[in-house]
Amino acid sequence: MSAIDLNNLNIAYSSVQVVHGASLTVNEGESFALVGESGSGKSTILKAICGLNDEWTGEIKLYGEKVDPRNRADISRISQMVFQDPYGSLHPRKTVDTTLSEPLAIHGIKDNGDRVVEMLNAVGLDQRYRFRFPHQMSGGQRQRVAIARALMLKPKLLLLDEPTSALDVSVQAEILNLLKQLRKDQNLTFLLVTHDLPVVSFLCDRLAVMKKGKIVEIATRDQLAKGEFNDAYSQELYHASKHEHVA
Amino acid sequence: MSQKLLEIEDLRVTFPTHQGDVEVVKGISFDLGRERLAIVGESGSGKSMTGRSILKLIRSPGRVTANKFIFDGIDLNKQSERQMRKLRGARISMVMQDPKFSLNPVLTIKDQIAEALRTHQKLTRKELDEKVLHMLDQVRINDPARVAKLYPHEVSGGMGQRIMIAMMLIPEPDLLIADEPTSALDVSVQAQVLDLIDNLIQENGMGLILISHDLNLVANYADRVLIMNSGEIVEQCNASELHKATHPYTQGLLNAMPRIDETRDELPTLDRTQWAAT
Repeated sequence: MSAIDLNNLNIAYSSVQVVHGASLTVNEGESFALVGESGSGKSTILKAICGLNDEWTGEIKLYGEKVDPRNRADISRISQMVFQDPYGSLHPRKTVDTTLSEPLAIHGIKDNGDRVVEMLNAVGLDQRYRFRFPHQMSGGQRQRVAIARALMLKPKLLLLDEPTSALDVSVQAEILNLLKQLRKDQNLTFLLVTHDLPVVSFLCDRLAVMKKGKIVEIATRDQLAKGEFNDAYSQELYHASKHEHVA
Repeated sequence: MSQKLLEIEDLRVTFPTHQGDVEVVKGISFDLGRERLAIVGESGSGKSMTGRSILKLIRSPGRVTANKFIFDGIDLNKQSERQMRKLRGARISMVMQDPKFSLNPVLTIKDQIAEALRTHQKLTRKELDEKVLHMLDQVRINDPARVAKLYPHEVSGGMGQRIMIAMMLIPEPDLLIADEPTSALDVSVQAQVLDLIDNLIQENGMGLILISHDLNLVANYADRVLIMNSGEIVEQCNASELHKATHPYTQGLLNAMPRIDETRDELPTLDRTQWAAT
């Protein structure tokens, strides 16, 4: 079964159309990347999928069921989002424990904090971080909390919006390893938005290249590794990433 | 490099805390000609503090000391705040990390860029407008006339950064300090912006200090590289020889990056305890 089906998805913000007829299928358990420049509509697609924006026409199906943007609770049990900026996406005056418990409270799940302990372990954070505030942690640790929060409701699909672009390379490596491990352990499906092709190569099976709101090409990781793109724009993107690599 | 643009010897930046003074830059020395120098390191390595201290932008209670601190024959140690203001922007300018916090939210793009120019030069309004539009065009903004009228919240992060670069390059300074100038940009645009900075530097014979955590980027856009870790320069090399770097910290950084034809199952991470003691 496919995890995500987008069929002729059009998204507009007031009068400006941002995404033009996007169609793609992400299989269950797959890790799929959306790449493209800023303003190409990749994050917009992510927001539409998780119900943060309901100004769209066309069809979005998650695990075979049509998404109804008015029913956010259902969507958020299936799919969760991790945002780019770990400094901006955590509430500064709430402890890690409160942040992680909130999704459970909203969905009326009774739990004695076991899930919080479990998720902290899963993302490789020591229990002593449980009652800390975001400002008492580093960027990498905060991103771990954001990932833990996304996993609290046991979603099957994780939407990742540039999860490592705000982090140092060595911390990025840790978070990428963590995401890869979590995907294996919990059998998650990833939809990753990024403009970093090497990250795609490490974490994803397939990618869609977007330009000005349109999907111009869908390629596999092998094609990416060899630079075998058909579309001129994908080629350009590939060369821009390729030429700035040292080793 | 016969003519030195910047000479720094034993630069230290300290901040007082309840636990005593913390030194974030621990006595570094380097020279800069009209060349491209990169300072690489992770967050907290002191690279941005080094950049800021050149402009004397470290606010009290932070302290900057140096045995030798000379920019183009001017002793920066002896400059008053008022004299520094004449240097900043006109002779040395700095591109900051985050356009969201570095642009004035209540000025239009045009007014903001014009302000950078007006502070240092007398120009008629028509000349100003022309220069601003030309600069916006140079940083590859598609519709300069439209964008010039926008406010910072109306442009994307990538555009904001290009606007800031336009603002910093328009007075044609001698030394440009670029603190993570492209970390908010797309790869394709990154190359364009760096090429642009590169062109301007070569045309005007400027010096560049490129502060970045991105080793790949640095390898392509700098002549020399200083690698910093916890306030010290751990290694210096030519950018072309970066892959031959020997220090374990540099190697750790190089290895931690995913490659475009990645085959490793897990990325090696830095063992921070290894040199924390040194």
